[in-house]
Amino acid sequence: MSTQRTLLKTLAFLLVASLGLALPSRSEAADLKLEAQLIWGTNEGRSPDPKHKAVQAEIARKLKDLPFKWSHYFEVNRQRFTLSPTETKRVQMSDECEITVRQAENAQVELVLIGKGRRVGKVIQRLPRNELLVLGGNAPNFTAWFVVLRQTD
Amino acid sequence: MESQLQLQAYLDGELPEAGRREVEAWLTHDPEARALLAELRQTDAALAGADCDVKLPESREFYWSKIEREIRRREAAARPPEASTVWSWMALWRRWLVPAAALAVLTLAFVLGPVLLSGRPHELEVVLATGNSTTYRDHARGMTLVWFSFPAENRFPEDELDALLFY
Repeated sequence: MSTQRTLLKTLAFLLVASLGLALPSRSEAADLKLEAQLIWGTNEGRSPDPKHKAVQAEIARKLKDLPFKWSHYFEVNRQRFTLSPTETKRVQMSDECEITVRQAENAQVELVLIGKGRRVGKVIQRLPRNELLVLGGNAPNFTAWFVVLRQTD
Repeated sequence: MESQLQLQAYLDGELPEAGRREVEAWLTHDPEARALLAELRQTDAALAGADCDVKLPESREFYWSKIEREIRRREAAARPPEASTVWSWMALWRRWLVPAAALAVLTLAFVLGPVLLSGRPHELEVVLATGNSTTYRDHARGMTLVWFSFPAENRFPEDELDALLFY
């Protein structure tokens, strides 16, 4: 009798363990592939920094459709990264600017903007595929900065 | 004339009781009326044998409705053919094609509206406004914009903020 009980317990344990292994891990199923861009908006046709690139056409079109005065947009930096459900990723966008990104509840993304080591603002927003989350503000000489976050393949 | 008609009605038995008594009282003291009544009786008697009764195969109402239908048929036949075609097409248009056309226009507007409006600046919906930032939503372009309006209730001096997040 005791042998049978032991055998049954062993079988039950193995069954539960196998089910646990069969289920995909939470992190593998919900990792997000993201891309963050730091963009400079200006009315000048050329950027003084030769390292700056032209913004991707799709993003440039969306930014130009905004009711803002800037007619030209330049990409200062672009970073791609993968975000697991449990981690908070710190991404350096420039010497003075970085962002932290983490997955929040209800399929939202939390984006914290940090300048010179100080937190400037926090945004919690849903980020479906093919949508953009854009943070922006004023920059010197009547220009503007933007941080664009989106999902990538 | 009126007295003759009244006597004729009396002779035909078409007067009510009061009217009949009135005529009889009148006849008793008016010899001319009696003479006229006698003449009318003679006329009736002379014509009685000459009339031949015509028996209609249908009732009076049905007979007259047939006449009315025939009149309308001839009037319709006399109308120009182009006018009737035009009127019939217009009636068809009003009944079926106008609602169908309205539905088609609404469908096209729903489908093509976003395409036609894609080139125009989109209206941004303000979804959140705080002390130092305003969140806008552009549903058509799938974009959320958070604009930080420095300096609001911020820790950084204004001259430092402008260069804070750039380079």
